[in-house]
Amino acid sequence: MDTLVFVLAGAFATATPLLLAALGELVVEKSGVINLSIEGMMALAAVIAFMITYTSGSHILGFAGGALAAMALSVVFAGLVLIFSTNQVASGLAVGILGLGLSALLGRSFESYTLAAPGKLDLPLLGDIPVLGPILFQQDVIVYLTLIAGAGLIWFIGKSRGGLILRVIGEDPHIAHNLGFGVLRVRFLAILFGGFMAGLAGAYAATVLTPVWSQGMIVGRGWIALALVVFGTWRVLRVMIGAYLFGALLLADLAVQSLNIGIPSQIMTSMPYAMTIIVLAVVSRDALKIKLNAPVALGENYRPAH
Amino acid sequence: MTKLGKLAAIAMAIGLGVPALADDPLNIGFIVPNPVGEVGWDHELDRGRQVMEAHFGDKINVTAVDSVGEGPDATRVMNRMVAQGADVLFLGSFGHMNDGIELAKRKPDLAVIHAGGYLNEANFATYAPKHYEVSYLCGMAAGYATQNGQLGVIAAFPLPEVLGIMNAYVLGAQSVNPDLKGVKVVWLNSWFDPARNRAAAESLVAQGSDVLFSLFPGTPSAVAAAEEMGVYVTTTLSDNTQFAPNKHLCAGQTNFGAIYIDQINRVMEGSFEGTDTFAGLAEGAVEVAGLSADLTDDQRAAILAKQDDIRNGTFRPFAGPISDNTGAEVVASGASLDIGGIKGMNFLAAGIDTTLPN
Repeated sequence: MDTLVFVLAGAFATATPLLLAALGELVVEKSGVINLSIEGMMALAAVIAFMITYTSGSHILGFAGGALAAMALSVVFAGLVLIFSTNQVASGLAVGILGLGLSALLGRSFESYTLAAPGKLDLPLLGDIPVLGPILFQQDVIVYLTLIAGAGLIWFIGKSRGGLILRVIGEDPHIAHNLGFGVLRVRFLAILFGGFMAGLAGAYAATVLTPVWSQGMIVGRGWIALALVVFGTWRVLRVMIGAYLFGALLLADLAVQSLNIGIPSQIMTSMPYAMTIIVLAVVSRDALKIKLNAPVALGENYRPAH
Repeated sequence: MTKLGKLAAIAMAIGLGVPALADDPLNIGFIVPNPVGEVGWDHELDRGRQVMEAHFGDKINVTAVDSVGEGPDATRVMNRMVAQGADVLFLGSFGHMNDGIELAKRKPDLAVIHAGGYLNEANFATYAPKHYEVSYLCGMAAGYATQNGQLGVIAAFPLPEVLGIMNAYVLGAQSVNPDLKGVKVVWLNSWFDPARNRAAAESLVAQGSDVLFSLFPGTPSAVAAAEEMGVYVTTTLSDNTQFAPNKHLCAGQTNFGAIYIDQINRVMEGSFEGTDTFAGLAEGAVEVAGLSADLTDDQRAAILAKQDDIRNGTFRPFAGPISDNTGAEVVASGASLDIGGIKGMNFLAAGIDTTLPN
């Protein structure tokens, strides 16, 4: 039972950086832009957040600094693809490498420093419920805020006027332009939002989830967030479920190994990747619906002719 | 490794390289794969370099570069160092092996000293510390410290060297504590992933382990997690007390400096050979460090006495009888594993609950 609680409760924290980054990227992609620099934005935000939290002692300042740093990188990306109409894939990769490089450079003198992790909330009464209490009601505050952000995005994309504009621009920027929407302005805001969320994800990874600075500590989480958006077929709820599933399987790997029930560890370690893809593929097996959700103009630059 | 880090490293190599002249000090190029940090592999490599420099003073001239992992940039840095007159090259990553051997073949006058590989050439030497000797001692500390008899091990990959360290640890623990439960193991299948490393520690503690062993973790995050959760932790490579001031139980401290000084002496005497050095307590290449104040004086004395016995050869951690965890006898009574058996370790000692891939 302890093992089950460990996996199901820990999955929320493990999933949070993936989910934050994936939600941001989902909004970017809904606007028709693919930003491949998540890994770099997370890495830069992680080091900035770590340095600020280490020197100031404030996690809030750390998150703010991390978010700003990642947003600054996303502005560079936005400038390339929106103003100079450069190839989105190449620009994203380049900006991502820039972020990773800056992260390594800035973090050199902080290598293997540690921080005190902020405590988890322990909601009175609710947190005392057996099994469910520790799973649902003893998480840190960012976990709850991330879930609220997910719910907010479900509403925004599905029900709000702003979400509709976002989707139209991702479907067909020409029509959106003719309808009088500012394609570049909306795409810029979406990219900025993606940077903000990737920044929070990096800050969470470096100051809450693993409060130790090591160069390269993001170890591919940004790419997994990107994959979650695609395998979650651009649906917020599916991306959320996918992230949680991935987090739970990541921990199940470790928990099952120490139970020693005879499954080779390599198979367990590959499980999160394999299972998340299989589950999301099965859930979204309807090709027509994938087409309906995928932004048609994804990756296409648009220059208003005036 | 990141592009920018590599560029910085190459720039440093160019900036610091000094061309060799006759009767100059011995020129040494020193390559470390990752940032140096405060503990762990790269930190210990760099500390070994500092010990070597302090020992030889102005008789050697060292150009050190960190954050040069395997790949084309490492090749470039190596070649650049040699072109600028390096007489000796220290390579700190397993991944430097192939390029290093090629370079050694091309430059017969160059002495290359490589960490962690298994291939040698006439002028390409390798070295590895006998981590298992100290992990036996840390195992004793774990056997003393555990309250419920449940030990947990977090390990990188199931490689022979890692199995040797784990087996010695468990044999050491069993030697002082007859009531041990089956040792739980989590394989990370990664050399570097701070988040998984931490989660592995949490997982083992959730399942009852009260002493953890962080075996080649690549990051101190499991050690910091152990301190937060209030369980004892032992480590390889470096004393990690700074990350767990209250719960650091024992560390198998590595002293690469002893190996480097010996090798540089050989180069200076002209007796350098491309052989493998497997150095332990006797050579001063490892020692037990960071023993917890919670151990009693008797316990600490027993550990240090055993360290002396291993150092002077009166005790061998892999002396038989040893059975593996399927019950088969792997080392007979009266026998002891030789270096080949230790370096090619392919079994798990009885009492370890994990599964090896076939």
